[in-house]
Amino acid sequence: MPESSAPDTGEVPDLDLVRRSQDGDTRAFDVLVTRYRGRVYAMTYQMIQNETEAWDLAQEAFIKAWKALPKFKGDSAFYTWLYRITHNVTYDWLRKKKIRSDGEFDDSRTEHQVAAGALAVPRGDAAPDAALRNSELGAQIAAAIDQLSDDHKEVVLLREVQGLSYEEIAESMECSMGTVMSRLFYARKKLQELLKDTYENAA
Amino acid sequence: MSRCIVSLFTAVVLAGAFGSVASAQPAPAPKSSSKAPATDGQVWGALIYATDDGSAVPDDGTTFPKELSDLEGRLGKVFDHKHFKILGQHTQDILREYESWVVPSRDLFLKVDSNGPAEGGGIHLHLQFWQGEQVLVKSDAVLRAGSPLFIGGPKWRDGQLVFVLALQAEH
Amino acid sequence: MKTPPEDHDLIRWLDGEMNDAERAAFETRLNADSQLKAEAESMQKLGERLRSSLPKDRPMPHADFFNSQIQVRIAQMELDEERSSARASSASWTEWFRLPWLAAAAAVVVAMVAIVSRPDSRVAASDVTQVLSTYAPNPDVVVRGYEDADAHATVLMLDGLPDLPADQKIVGYDVHGSRADKAMASVTLLGSDGQPLVVLAKDSRDQPRVWDLTTRG
Repeated sequence: MPESSAPDTGEVPDLDLVRRSQDGDTRAFDVLVTRYRGRVYAMTYQMIQNETEAWDLAQEAFIKAWKALPKFKGDSAFYTWLYRITHNVTYDWLRKKKIRSDGEFDDSRTEHQVAAGALAVPRGDAAPDAALRNSELGAQIAAAIDQLSDDHKEVVLLREVQGLSYEEIAESMECSMGTVMSRLFYARKKLQELLKDTYENAA
Repeated sequence: MSRCIVSLFTAVVLAGAFGSVASAQPAPAPKSSSKAPATDGQVWGALIYATDDGSAVPDDGTTFPKELSDLEGRLGKVFDHKHFKILGQHTQDILREYESWVVPSRDLFLKVDSNGPAEGGGIHLHLQFWQGEQVLVKSDAVLRAGSPLFIGGPKWRDGQLVFVLALQAEH
Repeated sequence: MKTPPEDHDLIRWLDGEMNDAERAAFETRLNADSQLKAEAESMQKLGERLRSSLPKDRPMPHADFFNSQIQVRIAQMELDEERSSARASSASWTEWFRLPWLAAAAAVVVAMVAIVSRPDSRVAASDVTQVLSTYAPNPDVVVRGYEDADAHATVLMLDGLPDLPADQKIVGYDVHGSRADKAMASVTLLGSDGQPLVVLAKDSRDQPRVWDLTTRG
């Protein structure tokens, strides 16, 4: 069964918070932001590989979510709806970047001085060698993912990392389940190929 | 600059439109970066709850500024209550060319316009005491250091809300 | 590019998207086809590698600021909306100064203005705060300004103010700083940790609006 992204029991359910947010309760919305900012930021960062821009995109996603709250009917999970907004915000950015630049990355924006040192939490109990190997492998995997097209990258991230079901992925990416499956299969084959050497050397 | 404001004030008042003085003045928001706007002093504003019930407001440690450490006693001479709790406080520069807001609470706050320094120390101020979306009172005053202004606000629960405005002494 | 259904079966099985019957059928095929089995295992391993090196949740730098910025932007958006929607509606606040008693009040104010316009000559140098003029829009409110020598303070008493309801919660702020946003013409007041407490702005009728960020809903 696909991993559930629903909150742990004991927490206020998303739908309650959403309803309160729709009534103008900004504190309820703040709880939703805290609950999902890590996942939204993981998605935007993994898609565009730039901390500052990913931070801004994550902000954009939540602001757009607040504005679009009246349109959320509750017929899908809140996080799926949020991922769709994140997807749109990210793709808009990617499209603009491609139109604006000739392949070179525009990093002239320095408005948000986000600390460059904030990375994914390191595994604390790994032995030095293992940690190094892990981070090397991690870097190789990140590099391989980055070589995929945006669609293939996203479908892998949503499935493998965020644990969404095919149906939820289809909703987030606004495509058919068939497309999701095709992209997922292709993406995995491609990654296997790209990681072939590292694979075999890793323990 | 104060003469300009005053002659404008006069002309507008003679036209019988007291309220539009506020809108005749320049842009509201102070400039944030590059150059700090000119100031005519600094004020401390606080919303105080005057009450006989000592447990009415939990003590969160907000204290009176040093030069007003005897404020409770002074308030007690004017308002017939035993306890004076600070609900909120805000120290704000009085801008010369823009309006300043002193907002120690959402519910009662002050809009302050400087009309320039006063002879012998102090500043000429135009004050507007707001409750939510309405003005309770407008006043022209000369605020002087060591002589705080106590504005008696509405009664609330078993006491009264009091707004204190004090000019900070120059250092 | 059409993918053969077999490939869909493989990933559907891998991702738990098959029902019991389909799963049983596929597992039978797996056990019979070593190449298919190898491919399945390889993909499984890939999934594990991906999941262990890419976090589902990425710690956000300046997380508190991230949240508070969102709240500030929401407040600014709401104020902006009110500004644009209020533009169309009639300005009710102008009504009070068309009232007949303003003419009398205006005469008084003119006299006061004479005092204010010559601050140096009329207002004697003193060390006491002075109230020069007062005006209360509510005709039921009587304003008394006086100096209380005992208290070393000057008092503005407002008699006749309506009481605040007992269940009204008074929200106070311990303000430690502020931040102005030129583009939105607003000021955000900050607390001791730099957290935004309240956004101040003017609406289209030049009325100050206070947008509390500490207790909403």
